[in-house]
Amino acid sequence: MAGAAGDVKALFSSLKSAYVATPTKLKIIDLYVFYALCTAVIQVVYMALVGSFPFNAFLSGFLSCVGTAVLAVCLRMQVNPKNKEFKELSLERAFADFVLANLVLHLVIMNFLG
Amino acid sequence: MKAMEANLLQLLLFSFVLLQWPSSASCLPLEPLRPPHPRILVLLEDHALISSHSYFFGSLFDRGYILDFKLASDPSLALKKFGEYSYDGIIIFSPSVDKFGGSINAASILDFVDSGRDLILAGDVGMSDTIRDIASECGVDFEEEPDAIVLDHFKPVSIENDIDHSFVAAYPSITSSVILGEPHIKAPILFAGVAHSVAPANNMVIKVLTGSPTAYSANPRVQLKESPALTGSSVGLVSAVQARNNARVIISGSLALFSNRFFTSAVKNAGVSSSHMFGNQQFVIELSKWVFHERGHLKAVNIHHHKVGDTKEPTMYRISDYLEYSMEIYEWTLNGWSPYLANDVQVQFYMMSPYVLKTMEHNGQGHYSTSFQVPDVYGVFQFKVEYNRLGYTGLSLSKQIPVRPFRHNEYERFIQAAYPYYSACFSMMFGFFVFGLAFLYHK
Repeated sequence: MAGAAGDVKALFSSLKSAYVATPTKLKIIDLYVFYALCTAVIQVVYMALVGSFPFNAFLSGFLSCVGTAVLAVCLRMQVNPKNKEFKELSLERAFADFVLANLVLHLVIMNFLG
Repeated sequence: MKAMEANLLQLLLFSFVLLQWPSSASCLPLEPLRPPHPRILVLLEDHALISSHSYFFGSLFDRGYILDFKLASDPSLALKKFGEYSYDGIIIFSPSVDKFGGSINAASILDFVDSGRDLILAGDVGMSDTIRDIASECGVDFEEEPDAIVLDHFKPVSIENDIDHSFVAAYPSITSSVILGEPHIKAPILFAGVAHSVAPANNMVIKVLTGSPTAYSANPRVQLKESPALTGSSVGLVSAVQARNNARVIISGSLALFSNRFFTSAVKNAGVSSSHMFGNQQFVIELSKWVFHERGHLKAVNIHHHKVGDTKEPTMYRISDYLEYSMEIYEWTLNGWSPYLANDVQVQFYMMSPYVLKTMEHNGQGHYSTSFQVPDVYGVFQFKVEYNRLGYTGLSLSKQIPVRPFRHNEYERFIQAAYPYYSACFSMMFGFFVFGLAFLYHK
């Protein structure tokens, strides 16, 4: 038992030290994703309390948060220098894709909000 | 000079026109229900009935009816002339006549009733099958046993020669000021004749006079082998029928009920005449007023509905609209139509079942109105008024109106419950903008 607790502690501290080593740009994206998911959770809790009356508004709000998080994760994947898949993709191109996708997302969200 | 004369003339004409303006009267320019002197055909089996029932006929004559006395076997009898009925009512005082003269038979009399006209039918001991048929088509089934009469041994009315106890006294079994008038008849009513029964499911026939608890219907000359079928209050003596087309029929099992002798008989207590008369005269006269529509005939006019605040009638309502419904009800009296005042007229907003049921209030002049909100259901509704009261003609009105749901721009623009979702979306957009700046300008 003490061994298991000790292992978990060791796991967390190694994760933390590895994370501290990531570039700041990626940490900014991580913060952004965390913010979007928090907002999504708040909305789900609110819907559970109050009921789903304007369901389209709930979906719109929830999916804007989830969509934003997904797009941010995609940007992180494309921008990460350690990721070999996107080695030839420039930073500017990745960010431009990100901006375009977000524009489309917010257009759809605004329409569906009602 | 000429101008002054012209002005004076104009003034005169104008005032003349003003004087013609109709003053408000209790009677309205509605078509009268009846001509002022309705014609009644009286079919008799014997001319002696005119004198033996003269009080009854006299009361009708005094109220303005034109009575046409004919023998039932008269070959010149005809109800219609050139396709139109020449009478407004028939009184059949010929219980033993099997075949009427002229063009009258059971079918033509029933057609007469089907056309909305009224009938008084008197059966008696030894009545014919024709009379039985007419009565059974009206919902009243006379006792099948041909010699059976109404008997009452426990409360006999002591009339001389009454060895069978076939003269019975009965009290009206309904309290209705429409049918039996005011004041209530306190005296018993003398009856000597045949019993009838009415199917309990029939709600158009009203048993006005039924036998006392000790009365029964049987042949007095034959010993009974089993208990009689009609006893007590199932012995119908006089029944009234209010048909759906507002024709009214009175069916009595006794012709002598209408006679002078019964009108003037005094109630006897232990063989001694008292000063109280039987209630036959008041009973028969009030019934005849009801059957010939002098009371209780209702008419509904001026049915309007509109949105609160509007005056014209829309072709369609929207859910959650507020609307007003109004109508006027009049009752026919001898002086014309006068306002009908009651507190229980209800209107339904109906689609397969009533979504709204409201009692209407009246303004004292027969104008009924109420207002309510259209329910949250869309479809084709009806304004229904179903008014059936004992003795009154039925009112069955319905007006169809569609109800539509909200148009897409009639909903509230921003729903308060959705404010968190609105703010989440906008915060995401703002967050995206801030993130973009942070990502691009970070060293």
